[in-house]
Amino acid sequence: MRPIIFICALLPVLAGWAAESLSQRIDKLIAAKAGRQPLAEPASDSEFLRRVYLDFTGQIPTAEGARKFLANPSADKRAKLIDQLFADARWAETMADRFHVLLMERRGEEEEWRKWLVASFKANKPWDAMAREMLAPEGTDAAKAGAWFFITKRLEKYGQNPTDHPGLTRDVGRMFMGVDLQCAQCHRHLTVKDYKQLDFQGLYAAYSNLRLQNPNDTIKVKWAMESLLKKEMEFGSVFSETKKTTGPRVPFGVPITIPEFKKGEEWAVKPDKKKGVSGRLKFSPLREIATRMATPENPYFARNIANRAWFLMMGRGLIEPLDLTHTKNPPSHPELLDLLAKELVAHKFDLKWLFRELARTQTYQRSSVLPKGGAPEHLFASAKERPIAAEPLLRSVLLATGERDRVTKLDEEDAHSLKSFGDLFQGAFANAPREPELAVTPTLKAALFLRNNEALLWLVQRREGNLVDRLIKLKEPAKIANEAFLTLLARNPSDAERAMVKSFLQKQPTLQNAVGDLVWALLSSTEFFVNH
Amino acid sequence: MNPLCKPNEHALSRRQWLGGMGGAAAAGALGGLVSPAVGEVLKQKEKQVLFIWLDGGMSQLESWDPKPNTQFGGPFRSIPTKLPGIHVSELMPRMAKKMDKICLVRAMRTQDNSHSAGVPRIQRGDPKNRGVIYPYFGSAVAQLMGPTASGLPPYVWVKPGSGGFKPTDAGFLGPKYGALAFGDGQPPPNFLRPATLSPEQDTARNELRRAFNFNYAQPRRKANNEANTYVFDTAEILLKRREIFDTSKYPQKEKDRYGNHLLGQHMLIGRKLLEAGCRFVKVNSYGWDTHGDHFNGTVSLVNRFDQAFAAVLEDLEATGQLDHTLVIAMSEFGRTPRINGHAGRDHWPEAWTIALAGCGINAGAVIGATNAQGTFVKGDEYDIGHMFHTWFRALGINPDAVEFDNGGQPLPIAHDDMGVIPGVLA
Repeated sequence: MRPIIFICALLPVLAGWAAESLSQRIDKLIAAKAGRQPLAEPASDSEFLRRVYLDFTGQIPTAEGARKFLANPSADKRAKLIDQLFADARWAETMADRFHVLLMERRGEEEEWRKWLVASFKANKPWDAMAREMLAPEGTDAAKAGAWFFITKRLEKYGQNPTDHPGLTRDVGRMFMGVDLQCAQCHRHLTVKDYKQLDFQGLYAAYSNLRLQNPNDTIKVKWAMESLLKKEMEFGSVFSETKKTTGPRVPFGVPITIPEFKKGEEWAVKPDKKKGVSGRLKFSPLREIATRMATPENPYFARNIANRAWFLMMGRGLIEPLDLTHTKNPPSHPELLDLLAKELVAHKFDLKWLFRELARTQTYQRSSVLPKGGAPEHLFASAKERPIAAEPLLRSVLLATGERDRVTKLDEEDAHSLKSFGDLFQGAFANAPREPELAVTPTLKAALFLRNNEALLWLVQRREGNLVDRLIKLKEPAKIANEAFLTLLARNPSDAERAMVKSFLQKQPTLQNAVGDLVWALLSSTEFFVNH
Repeated sequence: MNPLCKPNEHALSRRQWLGGMGGAAAAGALGGLVSPAVGEVLKQKEKQVLFIWLDGGMSQLESWDPKPNTQFGGPFRSIPTKLPGIHVSELMPRMAKKMDKICLVRAMRTQDNSHSAGVPRIQRGDPKNRGVIYPYFGSAVAQLMGPTASGLPPYVWVKPGSGGFKPTDAGFLGPKYGALAFGDGQPPPNFLRPATLSPEQDTARNELRRAFNFNYAQPRRKANNEANTYVFDTAEILLKRREIFDTSKYPQKEKDRYGNHLLGQHMLIGRKLLEAGCRFVKVNSYGWDTHGDHFNGTVSLVNRFDQAFAAVLEDLEATGQLDHTLVIAMSEFGRTPRINGHAGRDHWPEAWTIALAGCGINAGAVIGATNAQGTFVKGDEYDIGHMFHTWFRALGINPDAVEFDNGGQPLPIAHDDMGVIPGVLA
């Protein structure tokens, strides 16, 4: 009876929406919630261009690219550019970058992990499949071994801390379900009623059961040995004497019964450390969790990735913080999150499809210039400025200064090699390990780097064929201003800005230094530093 | 309404970005160049903190709480002080003459006797375990009070060894409240303007940068650009005060008075940073963990501390800064009365002493006592949580009313079952 009523109730809605794309439905819901709140103007061509380039190619556009796009009169050039960038090989690389920072929170890099991420996005592997590969990695399959990194990096010891199994458990909940259960480890959560100690402990039963192992002949990466789980794990609240038990369990789900095996028959493949055989349990808590968590039947799973994809595109989640989903912390746009999650499931967790739909929305394509009277952030009435991570920032800086090719050719040991710059930019702009990078955060460290670092300043010294060289050869201040703005900011300067540049260049004793300083000032500007 | 979204978060987003800096300082930062006249901070009498950390555990028996001629008393005598009836170890002749300027709490009893856990546990105030990592006192003060009008970073740390940005002190407050560490008294990387860049050129290029930023930020949300402006300006202010780190320019007489050893020189840098207007200055000394040959080691350790501590108190008093500077000298615990087989003393959190002075502190008070042999506290004993309550109160912060905000979770700034230590506050 109930399913029929449900479908009937939805019929008019379905009929009305059938012809509409997801992006159009998104914009309607955003506009409906905004009500009388004025919306920002559509982003200018420059704003749009720079934004999509940073989001989907991991760097700013070239001056040439910007010039062509700005001059292109066709009405559908934005849609075409989105299609073009989604077909670009850099799309998978950029997604890999962004998901790496999101999932690993600056714990470190690993080549196989990166390969796995890139290959997954390149093949447009559905998110549920990616999640299962991370949650219960299959080490012996070389194509999937890189996924071990999510778990193994978190099992590495740092400082004098013990192996952080609770931290791994916490992050599984955060990253794949949008719930931070940390405070429910030792007792019920004190501020979030929905989170019970059982929800943490059920996950912990599976993820505390892992021991870090070194690479061997069959598994080429660090991996973790899953121990045999014979009985339910006991736990108790620090507030009471009562003891409870749980087997592996997806938070808010049903407990998984631990089957009994005759002694010696627990393994499908027995582990042998000496021979490098990882073994395969007949009952693997990890596999049980993975198949039950990363599935449409778990509503948290689809909503979490929908919310995170929205966050990556709009700079703010529909649920904030991203990992505090519970009934008393509803989304800013409940119907919208429901819609995104439902459509994502209908599209079999196709992230590329979802990101493309999001990119096509007016919401994404709005200007970061506020509408008159301002706009509260949670209405998405204007674009939110987002951070540019250390890696795309470096790529953009090298591209703009015209030093990319030179730097790439230098020996690694050189102070101006790609590796040296990579280390410098990570040091100056990346967060400390385990600190999420979610918002624009200017730091004193970064400011000192931009102001005084010799390698950074080397980039704005004149050298054959670099930006400063090209600008100096233009001679005329107006031309210099135009080219500098286009190269660094993907836009033309306003008349006022052109005048500022002119007066600056004329006041300085040498054009050579002055042009370097002009490039530096643009490079160190807030406009360059954020994705706006 | 979203319970995690407090209305003031939006209104105060700028404050959040700026690392909790107050309105006055923010206005200064927005006005472009912030270059306070020297001594402006002194004039404003903003509250500051000098936190002297003697890492490894100073022996209370060879310093503030001697028990000569007892079973565990050790070889040193005690000497009378400016305070009638109060004695300290003979290793502290200078401080003995200044006892009327400080306050001792001789009844500390804390919970941890290991360094690895004890150091953070003590500096985080050992609050109730709520599964979150609390900020160190310096980060807490940086967040609660922000930078002074000087615009200088609010939490700086002068220490031997590595320097740079130390985000972990900040715990859940987030890395922006971490310490800026001057390792071996040296400024952080990229601190100095390269020789290839003239000051005039630097000024000109920054003016241009500011002008570009103004154009960009005007029609947009202000927070990001304000935060960016603030960190660039702070870099400039630091650069202007670079003479602080050039100890070769310090008068020799001054250096000698503080002592020609690391603690002395670092204390001197610490004083200059306080004068320049840093809100919270931590001066760190290592090597106090004297499990072996304790008495020989202690002679030089305590002597150096005595010299540097007396010198800094003298200077702070002479400039009037002591009235608004809370001074704290302490370790993660004391040392065992029992002398081990290596003529050493081990870790002893059961009965030890913390010395305080300055802002809001009852000068000349000696609070609490240990028993005749110095093994345990006699009478009321105090934990580090009590101390945090007392410090916050001395700084004018009410720990019963002010809370931290951990992403929507309100958390007490000091142990919620403890309170101020009676008699310590003036």
